Amino acid sequence: MGLSLGTVGSAATAIALGLAVYAVVVGALGAVRRDARLQTSARFTALAVFLAATTAIVVMQAALLTDDFSVKYVAEHSRIDSPTWVKVVTMWAALEGSVLLWAWLLTGYTAVLALTTANHALRPWALVVMQVVQVFFLGVVAIVANPFIVLANPPLDGPGANPLLQNHWMMAVHPVLMYLGFVGLTVPFAFAMAALITRRPGTEWMQLTRRWTLAGWGFLTIGKIAGGWWSYEVLGWGGYWAWDPVENVSLMPWLTATAFIHSVQVQERRRMLKSWNLLLIVLTFSLTILGTFLTRSGVVSSVHAFGDGPVGPVFLGFFVFVALGSLGLVAWRWDQVRDRAELDAAVSREGAFLLVNVLFLALTFMVLIGTLFPLVVEAVNGARVTVGAPFFDVVSLPMWMLVLFLMGIGPLLPWRRADHQTLARNLTWMTGGAALAAATGLAFGLREVYPLLTIGLAGWNLVSIGLLLAGAVVPRARLTGRGLGATTWRYAFEQRRKVGSMIVHFGVVVIALGITGSSGYRTDVQLRLPYGERVAFAEYELQAVAPFSERGPGRLSVGVEVAVFEGGRQVDVLRPHINAFGTSSMTVPTAAVRYRPGHDLYLSVAGAVDPSADGVIIRVIRSPLVTWIWIGAVILAFGTVWTLVPARARSVPAIVDAGQRANA
Amino acid sequence: MNRKVLYGAAGIGVLAVAGFMIFQALSTSLVYFILPNEYAADPGQFDGRRIRLGGIVTPGTIAFDERDLRLTFLVTDGLAAFPVRHRGAPPELFKESTGVVVEGRFEDGTFVSDNVLVKHTEVYVAEGDHIDIELLRESLK
Repeated sequence: MGLSLGTVGSAATAIALGLAVYAVVVGALGAVRRDARLQTSARFTALAVFLAATTAIVVMQAALLTDDFSVKYVAEHSRIDSPTWVKVVTMWAALEGSVLLWAWLLTGYTAVLALTTANHALRPWALVVMQVVQVFFLGVVAIVANPFIVLANPPLDGPGANPLLQNHWMMAVHPVLMYLGFVGLTVPFAFAMAALITRRPGTEWMQLTRRWTLAGWGFLTIGKIAGGWWSYEVLGWGGYWAWDPVENVSLMPWLTATAFIHSVQVQERRRMLKSWNLLLIVLTFSLTILGTFLTRSGVVSSVHAFGDGPVGPVFLGFFVFVALGSLGLVAWRWDQVRDRAELDAAVSREGAFLLVNVLFLALTFMVLIGTLFPLVVEAVNGARVTVGAPFFDVVSLPMWMLVLFLMGIGPLLPWRRADHQTLARNLTWMTGGAALAAATGLAFGLREVYPLLTIGLAGWNLVSIGLLLAGAVVPRARLTGRGLGATTWRYAFEQRRKVGSMIVHFGVVVIALGITGSSGYRTDVQLRLPYGERVAFAEYELQAVAPFSERGPGRLSVGVEVAVFEGGRQVDVLRPHINAFGTSSMTVPTAAVRYRPGHDLYLSVAGAVDPSADGVIIRVIRSPLVTWIWIGAVILAFGTVWTLVPARARSVPAIVDAGQRANA
Repeated sequence: MNRKVLYGAAGIGVLAVAGFMIFQALSTSLVYFILPNEYAADPGQFDGRRIRLGGIVTPGTIAFDERDLRLTFLVTDGLAAFPVRHRGAPPELFKESTGVVVEGRFEDGTFVSDNVLVKHTEVYVAEGDHIDIELLRESLK
């Protein structure tokens, strides 16, 4: 028996782990002794760790693509007749492989950090922290959940990946984005810890990691929305968010990260909230690990859970270590991180940031309680309960409304103290915008409180963005004598941070409108469609044409062709079907969606398609504005990227001059 | 100093309101998972409440009205059985003797469901067979 892929993979992960341990020891020694040679050794070891982990990834891909069932992970999760893309993504379709991917991304980030960060007092310790996290993940891969275990008697074929995951290409994207987000947010955490260790809890750590934080936040945001779209397309109920425990645990670090990217600005500008920012980044990272524990241990049950395994307790242990270690560090340096500046006035930029922070933390707390409460109840009286979606809706809706309110007013408030005249003028415009939007909603027949509030707040925010832009562009245009369009264009390139945040906030407004329409005004019915007959639904008529069945690689689809008529004219043919994969007994109803800006028409086969029957039962959903959630996500991603691209340094001084002249 | 007290009081006020709201919402939106015998023991506790009822589809009791899309069957745990009424098609893998969890509420002794989830159980029921309650409960999890 030659050298099998499994053995090579195990060896690669073991080498990566060994190198990572070496990097931690040498890096910490180098940092303590301020020994540049040791520090350099640790930095280049980061590259070696990455190369070793990359070898493991390549080996896993080779094993999956060549159907090498002597590798346990491949035998348990892959299948010969699956299409190539499914084999590739099978690497993160189950527990061991997903931890391997996470570890690999982490080694990549660490290597990039080690080789590109400028020499700075925080760098040695930040790398040590990154490498400690890396040791943990590589340790899990190498010891606790080794995907490369070699089977003595390999099977001839495997069962294939979870059918729900194979059913949509989004599965190739969503988990990777989430991991990029989680790993990205490890970077500010590592620098925060380094700041505490080196007694430099100023703003350096957040300024050095600003791009990493924003990129991580962006990946996480887009990853979550991508997951929502996957759920919309695959789960057949026409929804995208169910307050499922796994959704919840990944929402929590997103909430704290969102609070964090806002409150760091208060510290940068006003030197306030030092300890708060440290706590937020500690919370964000700890919640990531806690979430992994909850979903990978079978503690909470969910459609996403990977089931029980030895990995749970290990993650719980690491969570306790991270939480205690980092909070202990904050406590140890408490004297330095206490705030000395005080809030001058509640009505100020920092006041709004503070309030929105409290809201995001309250939302995190609510999600945590709702997710963990069933565990408490079961421990107390043995009853098995779930917390229904109404809980989360009732509690979070008022808070989301306040968040939208603050999102409009916050950016218009100056730092320290608001000038009452300007504030009053801005508020008048924004209230006008809100009233106009709400009146439009009323005119369209909306009578419910939250939808009207959301639409009003959308108007409020649009006017706010308009005022922000006008306040910056109009004086510049006057000074330079250029047209408004040209000035706006220049401004967008010169003030990327400001304009980027406006774009992101605009994306949020679009998403909020999409959520309002699709959650409040959807129609969801089951209809029996006899073949050849037109059945009325809303403004449509639906006609089941004929059942069909087709065979794809590793897949059998059974479905029905439905002609869609609008105003007597055929406008579309939709093909909702049910997919079966390989030998799995689990089938996946696959919806067919007609995407339109006004509303989506969503058809999903209910029950079974019986070719001998004279009709078929279809779940028909009409979901208004739902597409705007995905469009808003694209806008938001664009805004984040806009912020991240460095401004062209050349043209900045001219505008600073102009701004100063305008103020004089 | 005064301002600190004010902010502190405001903070505590906000927390108290939030805590109250959370508690209220939690107590009204808890959905219990029970078996038919647990309902039979104390129907009053669950009447009018949204619950998840688990059990086995009793053989020979499935009826589906294609016109009205009305599905009825008996769900049992071997100790008690209750009729279930569901609007909609039977899910794809729904059949006799399979494990199910239905979501909805009891109305006059009938469980009115808006969601039927098929669960693969290890529990096999032929008529008259004894059902292992704990095994059933675990497998419907």
